[in-house]
Amino acid sequence: MRYIVGVDIGGTFTDCVAIRTSVDGLLPMVKIGKSSSTPPDFQTGFIAALRTAAEVHGVGLDEMLADAQVYHGCTVGTNALVEHKTARVGLLATRGHTDTVFIMKAGNRLKYLPANYIAHVAKQTKPEPLVPKSLCEGIDERVAFDGAVFAPLNEDTARASIRRLVDQGVEAIAISLLWSSVNDAHEKRLRELVLEIAPHLFVSISSEVSPRVGEYERTIATIVNALIGPPMRLYLEALEIDLRTNGYTKSLQIMSCTGGLIDADYAREVPVLTVGSGPVAGLIGAASLAKAAEVGGGRNVITADVGGTTLDIGTVYDGTPVRRPTASYGQYEYFVPTLDVRSVGAGGGSIVRTEGSVLKVGPHSAGARPGPVCFGRGGTEPTVTDAAVVLGFFDPTYFFGGKITLDTAAAEAALARVGATLGLDGKQTAAAALQIIDSQMADAIWLTLTQQGHDPREFSLYGFGGGGGLHGAAIARELGARSVVVPMSNLAAGWSAFGISASEALVTEQTAMSLSSPFDPDEINRRWPVLEARVAEKLVKQGVPADAVEFHRFAEMRYQLQINQVAVPAEGGVYDAAAVERLVATFETEYERLYGKGSGFAGVGFGLTSLQVHGTAKLSGLRVGDLVQQGADAASDAAKKPRDVIWYGRDGASETTSVYDGVRLGVGFKTPGPAIIEFPDTTVVVPHGCTAGIDPTGSVVIDLHAAA
Amino acid sequence: MASAATQIDWNGRTHSYRPRPDWRDRISPRLRLHTTYDDNLDPVTFEVIRQKLWTINLAHGETITRISGSPLLASLDFNMSILTEDAEVVVNAPYVQFLNAGAPLGIRYILETHAGKPGIDEGDIWCCNDPWIAACHQMDVMFAAPIFVDGQLFGWVANAGHQYDLGGIVPGGWPQNAEDVYSDPVVLTPFKMVERGELRTDMEALYLRQSRMPDLVALDLRAQIAGVVLARDQIVGLAKRYGADTIKAAMRRMLDQAQESFRQTLLKVPDGTWTEIRYLDEALPGQRTTQRTQLTITKKGDRIAINNAGTDAQTPGTNGIPFTSFSGSITGIISVSMLYAQLFAYGGCERQIDYDLTPGLLLCCDYPTAVSGGILQTIPMMNAVQSILSRMLATDDTLRPDLVAPCGDFMLPVLIGYDDRGKYFGQAILDSFGCGSGARSFGDGVDSSGPTFSPLSMVLNVEQIEQWFPLLFLYRNEDADGGGPGEYRGGNGMRSAITPYRSQSMTVVTNSGGQCISAQNCGGLFGGLPAPAGHYLVYYRSDLLDKARSGIMPASIYDLTAEHIVPLRAKSNGAPLDAGDVMEIRTGGGGGYGDPLLRDPDRVARDVDLGYTSADAATTIYGVALAPDGVVDIAATDTLRDRLRGERAAWRASGVNDDSPFIAATGAPSQRIHAYIASVDQDGERVLACDRCGHRYCGHGGDYKTAALMDDAPATAIPSNVDPAHFVDEPIVLRRFACPSCHVQVGAEVTKANEAVKAEMVFA
Repeated sequence: MRYIVGVDIGGTFTDCVAIRTSVDGLLPMVKIGKSSSTPPDFQTGFIAALRTAAEVHGVGLDEMLADAQVYHGCTVGTNALVEHKTARVGLLATRGHTDTVFIMKAGNRLKYLPANYIAHVAKQTKPEPLVPKSLCEGIDERVAFDGAVFAPLNEDTARASIRRLVDQGVEAIAISLLWSSVNDAHEKRLRELVLEIAPHLFVSISSEVSPRVGEYERTIATIVNALIGPPMRLYLEALEIDLRTNGYTKSLQIMSCTGGLIDADYAREVPVLTVGSGPVAGLIGAASLAKAAEVGGGRNVITADVGGTTLDIGTVYDGTPVRRPTASYGQYEYFVPTLDVRSVGAGGGSIVRTEGSVLKVGPHSAGARPGPVCFGRGGTEPTVTDAAVVLGFFDPTYFFGGKITLDTAAAEAALARVGATLGLDGKQTAAAALQIIDSQMADAIWLTLTQQGHDPREFSLYGFGGGGGLHGAAIARELGARSVVVPMSNLAAGWSAFGISASEALVTEQTAMSLSSPFDPDEINRRWPVLEARVAEKLVKQGVPADAVEFHRFAEMRYQLQINQVAVPAEGGVYDAAAVERLVATFETEYERLYGKGSGFAGVGFGLTSLQVHGTAKLSGLRVGDLVQQGADAASDAAKKPRDVIWYGRDGASETTSVYDGVRLGVGFKTPGPAIIEFPDTTVVVPHGCTAGIDPTGSVVIDLHAAA
Repeated sequence: MASAATQIDWNGRTHSYRPRPDWRDRISPRLRLHTTYDDNLDPVTFEVIRQKLWTINLAHGETITRISGSPLLASLDFNMSILTEDAEVVVNAPYVQFLNAGAPLGIRYILETHAGKPGIDEGDIWCCNDPWIAACHQMDVMFAAPIFVDGQLFGWVANAGHQYDLGGIVPGGWPQNAEDVYSDPVVLTPFKMVERGELRTDMEALYLRQSRMPDLVALDLRAQIAGVVLARDQIVGLAKRYGADTIKAAMRRMLDQAQESFRQTLLKVPDGTWTEIRYLDEALPGQRTTQRTQLTITKKGDRIAINNAGTDAQTPGTNGIPFTSFSGSITGIISVSMLYAQLFAYGGCERQIDYDLTPGLLLCCDYPTAVSGGILQTIPMMNAVQSILSRMLATDDTLRPDLVAPCGDFMLPVLIGYDDRGKYFGQAILDSFGCGSGARSFGDGVDSSGPTFSPLSMVLNVEQIEQWFPLLFLYRNEDADGGGPGEYRGGNGMRSAITPYRSQSMTVVTNSGGQCISAQNCGGLFGGLPAPAGHYLVYYRSDLLDKARSGIMPASIYDLTAEHIVPLRAKSNGAPLDAGDVMEIRTGGGGGYGDPLLRDPDRVARDVDLGYTSADAATTIYGVALAPDGVVDIAATDTLRDRLRGERAAWRASGVNDDSPFIAATGAPSQRIHAYIASVDQDGERVLACDRCGHRYCGHGGDYKTAALMDDAPATAIPSNVDPAHFVDEPIVLRRFACPSCHVQVGAEVTKANEAVKAEMVFA
């Protein structure tokens, strides 16, 4: 395979990374193609980005695609949800439990919302239902927690329910019955009935989408899957036709929020796996870099992906990204095996304002439209980006590599208007805003790590996205982190696409259990082969040779009277009593590591709640860390004209600061702070008292503790 | 403050502890307090520190839930706070609001009483569950850690969390049949659980010895300790980094801002007196009596005064609440309705509150009243506060959007028994956390929103509950007509039904607040109706099993037939449930706002279509006629509404003379002070007049209720309400008030029939 091609579709741009591999003895070569995104027909922008990448490699698109593997980060599902352009979905749920999706576990729906919303009860509300009440049908059937059938499936009333939905023109049906995670017979039979009546419908069943205990989150996952099933089907079919027309013959691999690639057929069946895969790609890239090269000095990494509206926080512990079992869509929480990426409302577009005599930044954002004041697109409320340009961190003529010219004066005037009530001028307000947002970002990360049971001092911080380089060092200092890495700064725009290309194939299968200790080894032994066969089948379909599949087993357990569930690695082979004991011991050790010494109560035994198998296989074999910086030595003209920068926390006066053209810096370059390193798509800020250098992967690494 | 109040010895022994104005003078000089602060704190550092204190407090809570792993603490039945050295609450959390009220009281008690001996030292952690000192009831145990910086007491961090069991005559700690505190869970006055950083194993053993479930209580103990340790150490770190005086300046400023924000809100409200009456049923299980509580808040300038006069004296039984819960109800509801911008930093608002209280009444009861089971009576109390604050907010156009009618009351069924594997269980079903919230001045309450006083409290998944207890949830539905009707209706609660599954034995113990089983869940506002009562309705030997076997599942209790149908009482001790028996729990909705006849007919049609309002209520309460296809028949609706409004013309006058003092016209513009009443100049006088037709009710300082037409209807006039006569002997009615001229409904309340008409809002 000569080309590894990663494509990441964002709201504004479609980014493509095309790596010519070293198959023919040449050095690997990385090229970036970019095109505007083209909603709703995203495949058009996709092909356009591929074409520009092929051009910079000096080949035709047909030629490149004929010998390429294409990896795709797909936001079509996410966009459909955000823009409410989803399918008309009907829900079949156990009779008496269709209201679960309206009740939303009461106050639990507010769990991830900002504090000021939680505190203001007069403003609270519930979101529009995902499925209108008229399209929710109760099904006569009931399975109990032990899998026993309390009431058999009543096929007559079920058929009538299905017909009512079909008559109302549903395009997809979500089926979620109580305890289907333990006994899926009724769900499967219901699906047969639906397809008998309406063979064309997209049908999504909860025991396949997300077989976990907890009907609310499982049902929402199934509904979300059904909502985006039809649009996803349309998109992928159109894209595959376009790719085939342009000479592509292999299967298309799609990024999933699980942290690996799945094939397009599987993505069509379980499109909910693609929701939220965007931020996951950056985290995968960071994990790849940390694992392969220990860039930043270790395998523990916090990722801070600073975009226009949000900061996405991820964690890599010992080279492995931290996972979680749920994701959120507004106030809706649903089960999906995902990497743990949390968004907080802090980014370049965060609005600077006053509330009484207090200066506040965010969580509201000016977004892309109207955007910051300095963009000159009609924005009147100053943002973090305005503050950064006023302080001198951004070159107004070299933002996005000069694609946008920033109006510094307008930004300063807007900041001055906000600061006036506090007696601050524009520059002082800018410094204050930056200090506040850096502190908020650090607090959010600290809270995330505390929740995960980690100590930030054992981590490096990887900052990426448009603002990762601006805020990274300040956040890391605040946290006491070891170092800051702005990964592959010169290719920053392609960072997500790199992550996608570096991902492995990953398929996860799980089965809900309800075992009490001592666990019956036979019960466990019966499950593994079934799960592994299902995983292998999917991966083989994905194009992976059967013998290349690696299985990783996990058992999710808890102390019987406590609610924290922990998934721990489980050994291979056949289980006997001793293996079960070893599993329990692993759980106890991991529980203590996460929740603290003596925090588990073993007195009444253990519960085994699910078994999971992750199947992985190498795809591109690309390791992000192996891509060395092109062009060896620092060019002598890398230093640009120094400029005046105001660094907050000092005396407020501007200081002349060295500025470097990052593109012209070579591996081994080092500079003490204060300094600014500019790349076409990102600006790296190096504060006082630390040293920045370019490492062999082309990443800027800032040592926070050593002045050069 | 009344002179009688100053003579009462509020020392935490018989009467609740309340710090006297000179309490600081009694702190032993051995303890050095950090009282200095940096006058020149800049606004940026302030905002940074404020955010950090908020984050530290959240991490405090996370630490508790993580380490404990307890389902109780995971459902957020706890709260945590950061306080100054003299125990003003600087940061509080969005969990159960009244729980933290004990911290400022308990810590001041410790400062006054124990600073000399045994002394308050660095590394200590104090524990207390005495309801007359620091706990809302014994089950919510407080842990408080002093924060020392450079040898001076800089501040405190504290939490209060619900325990599995701490003894007493009923497992779980809600003994409704406790005649006095000696049948309650154990009472522990403040003691050091941790001394200079070392856990006192002697005290730990003594503490755990009180519990039926010592191992789990031990875990929660460690979790609560770990929480305060984390928060304390983080604040010490902040003080080192920014300087103690800087952090203290930020804390003081947060308090000052909360105080100022509260003051500004109060200044927008005209001076006056607001009163709420609430009845509490059966002091002891089986009693067919109801007791009266009265809460009066007088607002003058930028201060409010709280009075409990008119409340019945405490009796044997569990209807009393101590000062901790009483004051917590007030600050808790202020936090979510007047101080939301301050993110629960309610310490500053306490500076503006005076209490003029008589001890020994049900509100503010004395030792040794039973109080553990009475914790549920804090909810009707909070609902009373919510009604009063909402009426205050209604008097100003800028504040009115923040008002919320009360949410559903609390029902706590506890299931006790053994499963078919011989395992004991004893746990509450917390479906009341799916109650509806009250209506607002601009829109309906939120259906199954969760309680206003604890915004994050949740309803657990059915599958999670079925994993733990031998039962099946047959259904859990949004409840039609559960919220009080109104121009904007209250949010509906839920109906859930359970049946034993693989149980050896199962009995139900019921615990309920106020009159939420006999008469109403909560009041409405300004002519909006109260929400109907909930129920625990048992269908004994139903046809469930036969139906299920043939593939028919009930979606409503009315889909079943049974040999006996028994509504359980508000308080009961052990109704057995066997296979085939089904219990439906109907949890509360929120109160309505405004006259139901003014509700947009299309909203009524939509609610009927979605099952949120019954077709019957649409006609009889809302006066909306729907065509067979569900669309509003406009002409028929107009006719029906005219007829219903016309019926109010026959309502009677109160018979109470308007004795409002003459207040001359002020020249000020008309100001709405109620959904349909304005303060306005009329014929040279400042009067309260109908905002719709101009009818003069009374002078500006009068009581519009006594000047209105009134009518006593059966409580069952509230759609789907029960007949109170099933449960209490005293006649209870729905009393409604209307404008004598245009007949818009301006008031509606559930009251004892012999209760005199009582003003709800009178301006000074």
